[in-house]
Amino acid sequence: MFFKLISDWIKSPFHSARLFNNFTRQDFFVQFTASIAGVFWLFLTPIVNIIIYSFVFGYVFQMRALPEFGETQFVIFMMIGYLPWFAFAEAISKSPGLLLEKAPLITKVMFPVQLLPIVGTVVPYLTHVIGFGLLLLYLALQGYLSLLWLLIPVIFFLQFLFTMGLVAILSAFCVFLRDLQQLVALLITLWFFLTPIIYPISIIESETVRELFLFNPMHSFVSLYRDIILFESISLVNLQIIIPVSLISYLIGGWLFMRIKHAFGDVL
Amino acid sequence: MTRITVNNLYKDFKIYDKPQDRLAEIILRKPRHKVYHVLSDISFAVPDGKSLGIIGDNGAGKSTLLKLLVGILQPTSGDVQLQGQVAALLELGAGFHPEFTGRKNIYLNAALLGVPDENIPEIENDIIEFSELDYFIDRPVKTYSSGMFVRLAFSIATMVRPDILVIDEALSVGDMAFQKKCVQRMNEFREQQKTMVFCSHSMFHVQELCDTAIWIDKGKIQEMGDSDKVVGHYEDYCNSKKVYHSIREDMPHEDGPASNTEEPKVQDCRINSLSVKSPEGVELSSLTPLEDVVLEMEVEVLADGIEGNFGFAFMKSAEEPVASFLTTDIGHIEKGPFHKGDKFTVSLTVKSLAMRVGDFYVLGGLADKSGLLWYETKFSKQLHIEANKGVGPLLMQSEWKVNQL
Repeated sequence: MFFKLISDWIKSPFHSARLFNNFTRQDFFVQFTASIAGVFWLFLTPIVNIIIYSFVFGYVFQMRALPEFGETQFVIFMMIGYLPWFAFAEAISKSPGLLLEKAPLITKVMFPVQLLPIVGTVVPYLTHVIGFGLLLLYLALQGYLSLLWLLIPVIFFLQFLFTMGLVAILSAFCVFLRDLQQLVALLITLWFFLTPIIYPISIIESETVRELFLFNPMHSFVSLYRDIILFESISLVNLQIIIPVSLISYLIGGWLFMRIKHAFGDVL
Repeated sequence: MTRITVNNLYKDFKIYDKPQDRLAEIILRKPRHKVYHVLSDISFAVPDGKSLGIIGDNGAGKSTLLKLLVGILQPTSGDVQLQGQVAALLELGAGFHPEFTGRKNIYLNAALLGVPDENIPEIENDIIEFSELDYFIDRPVKTYSSGMFVRLAFSIATMVRPDILVIDEALSVGDMAFQKKCVQRMNEFREQQKTMVFCSHSMFHVQELCDTAIWIDKGKIQEMGDSDKVVGHYEDYCNSKKVYHSIREDMPHEDGPASNTEEPKVQDCRINSLSVKSPEGVELSSLTPLEDVVLEMEVEVLADGIEGNFGFAFMKSAEEPVASFLTTDIGHIEKGPFHKGDKFTVSLTVKSLAMRVGDFYVLGGLADKSGLLWYETKFSKQLHIEANKGVGPLLMQSEWKVNQL
């Protein structure tokens, strides 16, 4: 039973590929319906964001290169962590509403409901991979490119699986526990500041506290991106954390979702 | 082959007073809900190519049964087996996205209903044509009128050509012309030997479209069988109910099956007989245009203090009146209060019948003081209009004059 549910969960986007495709396109393009610039916003938003942060941190706060990162501008250091975080944060903050919004569909039409958390993760990642890609392109042109970069898509994909598992759990639980909507909004802010995105981990002096950060998988993801891009090195500890954590999150999240999805009709 | 098999189906809903009770129950494992039995012991089977109608009062469990059939709800016990592709129209346009055009929504909805993408372009034009949307098909669905919305939804769901079509109250929408098209489409469906489950309050449609019918009352099968018969009995039951009974009677009984000992229904009056006669007093089974007809009924009052108006109507179907006659504004007719045991024979002479073609029913009844609510009505058997020359639905009394100058 356990494996049947998990294999259903893994197979569903391929098994119902057309519906998955349609849902994804719908949720992706609905962001731009009736807007003049349309898909252009996908590129405009991250560029403007980068400019804003450069201004605030580079000019206003006068944050220059950090000692341990050599010549690298603070803004670049920050954006390497910030852009992948964006994808994660958007997926998580939207997750409690995923099923509630689609309640009429779930209670009136028979379809594989598990597509909803999957699509709910795919769409923010699709949206934000563009900004991340633009940054990588810029950095490549600046001469940061190395062979290790081939690992970036792999790590990004693991981050995607990690997110999907959490989204599945949160969206399903929120059907029974609406308070999660408010709670998740708070937690995602807390999580943001507990992840070294706008500060380097080295700012924390206590060794023990720094080790506590290893319990935050997002810290490992962010560190990995930075290590690969800025140092052309890779931290095995972080890699050892994210591989099992991502897979467990993806599989357990999916299993839980499949376990309780039959009850949605009664509650929604 | 049996397309749908339902065995000993039970469905309970757990009712929680507060949302946190649901959580507390999970954590503390102590029941904090009341059980409400929505459906109990439902079993039936629908063979290939047959259609089944489900009728019953509001809240009897019809929609829940349909949701269980399609798999949106899980039964508490018992099982449902379906063979073949299922399309369900439980709510028209449930999957529509308001921001997208009708055309895009066709693709999305068809995918939801399980049509392969490569087949959609070929049915796309049929859908657009059937829905009569024309150039609106490329406008966002949010700009549609509710009629356009349901027309599109119905067109998609039936164009998908599933093996089993499950429809909940779909025909109560759209204008008359579209309703007619829907009925035609559903009839085509039957001719193609597809299976259909259809739940409606329109007894006429159930009789027209279904081979068998199930009457569900308070979650149990009250009667199952030939649709004409079941609908007939259900109508009798509805007529015998008081027109306005207190709302409390309609509330779910929380203590479940124990509450079946209900009081006998009090009737206000009874229509003992209804007949359609010629002016000479001969009972008619068909009508001739431009002839006079006498409608006659005997009304017996069964309660004291009833005030009301007598009425007759020519009906095309149970819902579609053609002409009506009420004593509301007829001064010299007595309007009560009547006493228990009073009997009246009421007769109305309709002069020069204007209908030229079709089949009609005559309805006779006693309405309340305002003329809006029927205490009791009775239908005659179907009356056919005799064949005659001419075109158009009406024939009018007329006189010709042609003078050569």
